[in-house]
Amino acid sequence: MKTHTKECVGQALSNAFSRRRFLKAMAASGALACLPGALLRPLTAEAGIVYEGDYQTFRNACPRNCYDTCSIKSYVKDGVLQFIEGAQESTYTRGGLCVKGYAYTRRPYEPTRVKYPMEQQGRGSGNWKRLSWDEAMDKIARKVLEMQEKDGNLLGLGMTKYSGNFGITNYVVEGMMSSLGYTTRFTGTPCWPAGIDAQNYDLGNMWCNDPEDFPDARYVILWGVNPAWCSVHSMKYIYAARDRGAKIVAIDPVMTQTAAKADEYWQVKTSADGALALGMARHILDQGLVDRDWVDNNSVGFEEFASYLRNNVTVDWAAELSGVPAERIKAVAEEFATAKPATIWIGYGMQRHVNGGATVRAVDALVAMTGNVGKVGGGARYGHLQTWGFNYHAMLQKQPEGAKGVPGKTEVKGDFHFTGDQGEVSYSDRILNINKTAQEILDAQDPPVRMLWVSCKNPFSQDFDRNKMQKAFDKLEMVVTVDNFFNQTVEQSDIVLPVTTLFEEWTINASYWHYWLSINEQAIKPMYEAKSNIEIAAALSKKMNELSPGSCTFPTEVDTKEWMVKEFNQNIYDQFGLESWEDLREGPRKMKLASSASWSTLEFGTPSKKYEFKSELCAEHGHKALPEWKEPREPNAKLRLLTPHTKFAIHSQFNNIDWMQEFNPRPYVYLNPQTASERGIDDGDTVRVFNDLGEVTIQAKLTSILPADTIMMYEAWFHANPYNCQNLVDDTAADMGSYKTGQPGVAIHDQFADVARV
Amino acid sequence: MSMELPLVVFTVSAQAAIGLVAISTVRQFAGHGPLGKIRQEWLFAAAVLAIGLLASLFHLGHPLGAPTVLNHLGTAWLSAEAVGAGVLLAVVAVAAFTIKGGVNKALGIIAAVLGLLVVYFMGMTYSPPSFPAYNNVLPFAFFLLTAAILGPALASYFASQEKQAMLARWLTGALLVGLVVHLLAPCIWLSGGTVMRETGMAFVASPLYWARIVLGLALPLAVMVRMKSIPVWLPVLLVAGELAGRLLFFMYSIHTASNLGGIY
Amino acid sequence: MTKQYAFFVDAKRCIGCFTCAMACKNQYHQEPGVHWRQVYPLNEEIYPHRERAFYSLACNHCENPTCANVCPVKAYYKREEDGVVVHEQDKCIGCGNCIRSCPYGAPRYNPVLKKAEKCSFCYQRLDAGLKPACVQSCPVEALQIVDLAEFDNPNAVQYPAGFPRFTKLNPSVRFILPEQPRMVTRSDV
Repeated sequence: MKTHTKECVGQALSNAFSRRRFLKAMAASGALACLPGALLRPLTAEAGIVYEGDYQTFRNACPRNCYDTCSIKSYVKDGVLQFIEGAQESTYTRGGLCVKGYAYTRRPYEPTRVKYPMEQQGRGSGNWKRLSWDEAMDKIARKVLEMQEKDGNLLGLGMTKYSGNFGITNYVVEGMMSSLGYTTRFTGTPCWPAGIDAQNYDLGNMWCNDPEDFPDARYVILWGVNPAWCSVHSMKYIYAARDRGAKIVAIDPVMTQTAAKADEYWQVKTSADGALALGMARHILDQGLVDRDWVDNNSVGFEEFASYLRNNVTVDWAAELSGVPAERIKAVAEEFATAKPATIWIGYGMQRHVNGGATVRAVDALVAMTGNVGKVGGGARYGHLQTWGFNYHAMLQKQPEGAKGVPGKTEVKGDFHFTGDQGEVSYSDRILNINKTAQEILDAQDPPVRMLWVSCKNPFSQDFDRNKMQKAFDKLEMVVTVDNFFNQTVEQSDIVLPVTTLFEEWTINASYWHYWLSINEQAIKPMYEAKSNIEIAAALSKKMNELSPGSCTFPTEVDTKEWMVKEFNQNIYDQFGLESWEDLREGPRKMKLASSASWSTLEFGTPSKKYEFKSELCAEHGHKALPEWKEPREPNAKLRLLTPHTKFAIHSQFNNIDWMQEFNPRPYVYLNPQTASERGIDDGDTVRVFNDLGEVTIQAKLTSILPADTIMMYEAWFHANPYNCQNLVDDTAADMGSYKTGQPGVAIHDQFADVARV
Repeated sequence: MSMELPLVVFTVSAQAAIGLVAISTVRQFAGHGPLGKIRQEWLFAAAVLAIGLLASLFHLGHPLGAPTVLNHLGTAWLSAEAVGAGVLLAVVAVAAFTIKGGVNKALGIIAAVLGLLVVYFMGMTYSPPSFPAYNNVLPFAFFLLTAAILGPALASYFASQEKQAMLARWLTGALLVGLVVHLLAPCIWLSGGTVMRETGMAFVASPLYWARIVLGLALPLAVMVRMKSIPVWLPVLLVAGELAGRLLFFMYSIHTASNLGGIY
Repeated sequence: MTKQYAFFVDAKRCIGCFTCAMACKNQYHQEPGVHWRQVYPLNEEIYPHRERAFYSLACNHCENPTCANVCPVKAYYKREEDGVVVHEQDKCIGCGNCIRSCPYGAPRYNPVLKKAEKCSFCYQRLDAGLKPACVQSCPVEALQIVDLAEFDNPNAVQYPAGFPRFTKLNPSVRFILPEQPRMVTRSDV
């Protein structure tokens, strides 16, 4: 067996084997048999599942961009991950994960994983040649030095990274860039920026109640949020609220799985949520159901807001814009205003519009005017970053002596930028907008972006206007992507570096929704030649200093566990009641909360320290001071196109894994039977979805969950499938986001297309 | 959709052999006149049955485990079927080797009765609750018809001239009944529950079904009505027809589990 | 009545998230294409919105299991202590008779081992005092393990629409039917 393993790995890897041939060879010779240690042998029902201490257990945590950030317990035998489960210690996850989480067991061993550093002979050719780490680092380092030589600075080196891995130590990617010099950074967030700004204008921060207090709510509106798919562990709390008598209302353009579980579902017209919220507010005002006490004591600008409502908003107007009948608007508004506490969960999709920030402000206002802010079981819930106060040691690296960049100081902002003011500097990084990555690369001059380092991100799947992205990449002289899989960005890269999975590295994970903190231990040795981002930085630094001493300040030898420990501080320990980080090895810990309610002291973070129905700051930033109705984007094609999450993936992750593709083998475009019949489309037909940007050829699935003016495709990446919804999504900006995240958001759901039979 | 080729070969072969020994026994003891090439006939039957049994092993994931099928004679029809077919092979072989002028009467009767019993076991094995279209007497009827058609058809190669007319009558009758049953079955299914209806629709929509009806039943019937004897080429066509019919039987056996979440 | 474990499938709570099916794969690493548990969407005639109501199904550990009855090699046995139907893979010769015969499609063919296999109710986990992997994984407690000897939920049904009725087998599974919200659809389209 051993010889066989050696032989087949050797055979597979000798010569300039293309990746496809390599994979074929692996498959032909029995991919599993080739893996060291005969990994992941299927277990039979009777074979060897013994539960008494037969496994080594480790603590892991899901590092993906997800509300739930589940704490994982991993069972390892003979150095091989056998199975995982949710940490029993967390009352939030209660021993369970989700469909994506349970697929993690496969991830380190997935046959199509990136196993070694590789170089592609011609981007998109699939002609991959294996490199040693030394060769890969040499090619990269020489390019960096060449840019430094040519431009006199490293602004030609661009870095794009976002939420592919939220493990705290992965901020080392930013740190690695700093240790090389001043570089070009893509900042901002495509995720939730307009809503963050909205909440900051209204409340002074984004801060949500503990989701575990949903059961205390007497009324729950799930507005543009689909926890049944995107936060499965929150659903039990929502059910608990219902079991205790609360009514659950779901408002969404799509009859989501969450909507199917609600007591009442409103099919709101996309991007008209703001009108709906204002219509409800007007009715509450008319009915005298405003919580006067709360409003008088804790807010500013309510009278102006009330007069705006009286002069500009009627329930009939709201009904006409939103498509929701006036009678239901009135009924639910009354129910909401009289049930106490009542709460609204504001989803992130709702603010991915040109009027998204204004919409979130209108919904916030609805919660505030009914006195539900600062209450247990109440609140305008959006997200929080209360548990992210780490040291960001990995991120805070010094530039080499004499490094030059953009003269002067540029303020860096970001949703996860916690490092604060770095004092006076002579030079700064060049800041570009992550939501217009393609355009920014095309426009950047003096120097152009010559080289792009991609980590924890998949721009070809997740950034907008794929065709423009292709043009932008064509302009780049070198693309290095660090990833687990040969995704569509890797396909357009010159060099791919294999990065560790969560089981192969040390890190820490916090949530932007619940209040649990988890440690992520290294449970298995890195497979193949994978390295963590910290080790990659060290390897690059070593090579840089070899070629040009002093050209990189990053340590050349690192211990990843020590680097993880360096992220902790006394505040974190106090916040979570920890003696030391080692306590987290016993299981995840929840922050010690004074109250499950955010803003329970009713001292707000706004300039007035009160809830601001009228925000002068918001007006200063070019918006309306009041949460007024803002017109949506004009359609530029016949049908609204929505590209939300699927339950089988988080963005472009998970759906490529063979275990997942068994349950979700292919993408579809979903359309209402009426939309289909008008175009002669039958269920299962292959159709073309198209607009000015591009097109997608895909199978049609007819469903009543969508209105007739809307079509939907889930964003996802399927292995060996060219499907990409970004062919059809442009980079139009949302209204807000610049204030807190540095860049405006992006109107992902203000998109339009048409569909035709092929 | 699985073709289950080993099962197709096994069941058709076994039923052909059973038909052959049954017809031969009846011919020998219920009529007068020359016996024909009786030893060759029984050896042929034994060989066909042996081939069938051999084919059945290819159906197993672990053919070497075949002897363990004896374990569950209590409730598993498959055990009964396998044991029955094995014993039958032994009986037919012994009968063939002990032929002296004619088949030993006791052995002949045992073989015929046991054969019918094996057909019954097969009918039970292939009529589980998971196939609503088959969860009835139809598989037994299909299998019996295969024996009734291939028995006289193949016997025509071995029987004496005097008995050919009798074989022809039997074959004509079997073909007539077969045609009716095979035409009626999908019609009955079409009026049943969802899965039964799907089976019926799959049959009716399949060219194989119509080929089997026309070439395997209707055309041979017409030939028999016209010629009143079995032409030498006809058994070949009939074997092909039965194989096609059995292929159909396994390919379009729509399983209840295929409709979970649907209306039954 | 003797103890008989059963799966309790609360389709009113079930969000069709497939977590249970993947948790099973996570525990047993079935070969590609082999699932012991699958999540079946209900047809629109049963629940009017496509892929919005589901039954999560595996082996039903029937009182009178077809698989055990038809297995020629006695590779199945029913545990006296809890009614769990166990498939002993080392006895299996891969004849496929159980796979063909079980009307609920519980036994599956393992193309690598060339044997049948199916949901074991995680009896080793049960013996170790743990819940089955799927039950433990369910984020909304829509999939539970119950003992039919004590189970008396008056709203539970054994043969809901979408689940075939085989009374002779007496499958050990009980369902709560899915419900619909009050639907307020758009007036403008």
